[in-house]
Amino acid sequence: MKDFFSKLREKPGFKSVTSSILCIIAGILVGFLVMILLSFFNDRTSIGNAFQGLLVLLGGPFSSGRGAYIVTNLGDMIFYATPLIMTGVSVAIAYKTGLFNIGAAGQFLMGMMGSLLVALNINTNGNPTLGVLVWILAVIVGAICGMLWGAIPGFFRAVFNVNEVIVCIMTNWIAANIVSWVFGTMPHLINSGSGKSGYLITTAVTGNGTPTLGLTRIFKGSYIDAGIIVAILIAIIIHIILAKTTLGYELRACGANRDGAKYAGMNEKRNIILSMAIAGGLAAIGGALYYLNPGIEFKFDSAYGSLPDYGFNGIPAALLGSNNPIAVIFVSLFIRFLNVGGGNLPSAGFNKYIADVIIALIIYFAGFSKFFKDMLSKRKKKAEAKANEAEKAASAQAAEQVVEQTPALDNTEKEGDKS
Amino acid sequence: MSEQPYVIEMRHISKAFGSLQANDDITLQLRRGEIHALLGENGAGKSTLMSILFGLYDPDSGEILKDGKPVQIKDPNDATALGIGMVHQHFKLVECFTVLENIILGAEDTTLGFLQKKKARERVKALSEKYGLFVDPDALISDITVGMQQRTEILKMLYRDNEVLILDEPTAVLTPQEIDELMKIMKNLTAEGKSILFITHKLNEIMEVADRCSVLRKGKYIGTVDVKDVTKEQLSEMMVGRPVQLQVDKKPAEPGEPFLEVKDLCVRSISHRDKLAVKHVTFTVHAGEITCIAGIDGNGQTELGLAVTGLSKVESGHIYMKGRNITKDSVRKRAEDGMSHIPEDRHKHGLILDFTLKENMMLRRYLEPEFQNHGFIRFDEAEKYAQELVDEFDVRSADGVNSTARSMSGGNQQKAIAARELKHKHDLLVAIQPTRGLDVGAIEFIHSEIVKKRDAGAAVLLISLELDEVMSLSDRILVMYEGEIVGEFDPKKTTVQELGLYMVGARRDTKKGGKA
Repeated sequence: MKDFFSKLREKPGFKSVTSSILCIIAGILVGFLVMILLSFFNDRTSIGNAFQGLLVLLGGPFSSGRGAYIVTNLGDMIFYATPLIMTGVSVAIAYKTGLFNIGAAGQFLMGMMGSLLVALNINTNGNPTLGVLVWILAVIVGAICGMLWGAIPGFFRAVFNVNEVIVCIMTNWIAANIVSWVFGTMPHLINSGSGKSGYLITTAVTGNGTPTLGLTRIFKGSYIDAGIIVAILIAIIIHIILAKTTLGYELRACGANRDGAKYAGMNEKRNIILSMAIAGGLAAIGGALYYLNPGIEFKFDSAYGSLPDYGFNGIPAALLGSNNPIAVIFVSLFIRFLNVGGGNLPSAGFNKYIADVIIALIIYFAGFSKFFKDMLSKRKKKAEAKANEAEKAASAQAAEQVVEQTPALDNTEKEGDKS
Repeated sequence: MSEQPYVIEMRHISKAFGSLQANDDITLQLRRGEIHALLGENGAGKSTLMSILFGLYDPDSGEILKDGKPVQIKDPNDATALGIGMVHQHFKLVECFTVLENIILGAEDTTLGFLQKKKARERVKALSEKYGLFVDPDALISDITVGMQQRTEILKMLYRDNEVLILDEPTAVLTPQEIDELMKIMKNLTAEGKSILFITHKLNEIMEVADRCSVLRKGKYIGTVDVKDVTKEQLSEMMVGRPVQLQVDKKPAEPGEPFLEVKDLCVRSISHRDKLAVKHVTFTVHAGEITCIAGIDGNGQTELGLAVTGLSKVESGHIYMKGRNITKDSVRKRAEDGMSHIPEDRHKHGLILDFTLKENMMLRRYLEPEFQNHGFIRFDEAEKYAQELVDEFDVRSADGVNSTARSMSGGNQQKAIAARELKHKHDLLVAIQPTRGLDVGAIEFIHSEIVKKRDAGAAVLLISLELDEVMSLSDRILVMYEGEIVGEFDPKKTTVQELGLYMVGARRDTKKGGKA
């Protein structure tokens, strides 16, 4: 058992995973402290409520009381994790190339726009096979829109050395306005029924919704669809590209040392644009997968005023996952897990927005991952130093018995070449 | 022994990094007012020992005494408080600060929280004039040459009035004249009672300036000698553990076809974009010949190297390789056509520091079928190849080919680059300061490899600041001064003194190098 752990410790990923877990634990503990404090300020709650709250939060979808809700909650958790995985991987791949993709929100919107323009304008109601084909086309068009959108900050960075963060922020708001404007010109896509205003029709109307592949039969009553499978597959593919291919090698080299990449004969400008385009495409697929679900409506008339939080939540998802696409899958699911649990906090006597505070705390602590990583390295070093000293003490004892080995200080010690 | 006034004593110091025993029971005694050289191969543990003295590493065991009293040096602040200053082999400068800001950083004079730059500027000026370390105090570090950055580092230490000065290979980037200056400064400093620990590979410098010399080999203490009692050969044997060939052993060159032709080349300066650093330079490198560009740092050699290798654009003029115009070719095209390049700045260009040694060894070859299969990298092949190079060039690191380049010592990083570029099949080798920071054993090896390449018919363009290297390795010397070629020499028929006159611009052959 001890051997197993020491072997595990040697693995390069061990420190990343452990530090991420420590971040999460630290965030939850601070969140717990917040609940304890709050429980004192409210007459109806006591410290017992804080413990109950912690259990509810950590119970996630399982803390909803009635058994029938559990599968629905699980299904929703998985569905809402899907776009988060995509934006998380988007931020991660850009980061590996030394770029900060804060434009995932805009790319997400562009992906949504491209895919909905296809999926809502073609009516395949009653023909499921055609519906799937249109769905695939919609995702691809969305991805292309996002790639082009992401390539813009990449282009400015590569050619004019304009900081990508600035351009990303600008493209975010431009995207938000474009989306409102484009759908505003298409009255035939507006949902005029059910007393709502400013909403688009959904893919339920046109029959091009994401296939559910029977998942809704397991997770009854939830939004779940095949999008999660697509997202996981894409995350795995991106991981393989980064770790195993020449393209990934180039992107990582450009991220780590741009001059070195140039010296190696790589076209660092092309790689920067490419990296941002891929990142944009990934975030866009997130937007497409989210809004192609037949149950999700898009409120276009106020879209210009706010940016989708999926875009920004990709940043902590990537951070907590140490920019590893595979880890981002788990981190995204976990964030959603906490969200669902947080929704049940009122049952413990807390306002449900406390859940957002606690999730925000965990996300803040994601910034500490390097701190925890360094802490782990130090611990390891200390342990090694101790082992070394013990060894040395043992060998010194042995050596003393054989011969006194004080180096001659002020003159040369004749020594043959032993090596 | 107690009557001996040692200013610093390090007793039985040991330090290990992972499985690598960097220092193994090392004792070092520095007398007040002496220049004490610390000699050893790359990776012998010199830098580690000095980092322990400067408080950057905790020793695993052993003690440090200052003026006979045991002291704890936990971080560089402790070291500074004890009057110990250090110039590192890899400079610790803030790139986006000016020279002056870097010098005063951490020792700022303030009044009511406001920086007193004027006073500091005057002090820096006085210091730099006194010691002949001329730098522009308002230039940004990122804009100045490696040589000037070195000067800034030395000034930084002088500015702090340190009593014990640790110089980690301070001369590696200086010109012969600057080295002479530095030697004088060092002697002046010791005359004023300061003590200097001087890490170097260069035996000439030890013979010239040091009082005593301690030798380390592979982390072990070999001995301390009075420099006046030993010869260079004895010192190098102590260091390497075997007799070393100090002169390059080579046959006369048999120059073949012109291989690289540079015609009327002009390149803009890196630090001053409006000026030309290379002015109408014309020269030819033949196959089977080592042509060397000699000169003082900052006379356009850096820009020339970047232009020839394709890392920067040319202003005007042409570069031909094998008779084909390659002026506008990409770095990759040039590499594919047979150009190898040992770059001047190993951290900026030569290595991806956060990559492993394995990944770095295929840096310029990863697209070759040997290393990739339909876009998938063949990591097993890469590892095998890297292992071969590591074994052949004796590149030492804590975790072998899986160590990150950043964790390796400077000399071993340089060896790794040299291994990669020399093993790459090439017809033209552009080697810029190929042995910078290497010990005599490694220099001997790299030089013999370069000569082997030449004998196999490759053309070699060597750009070097080390006159020893220039004189012993090259078949033809071109001296560069202020961006122009001012003279051409046969190393057998010239002297260091004559080259020096051309290098400082005191003499020039008007027929060479365009306008005179």
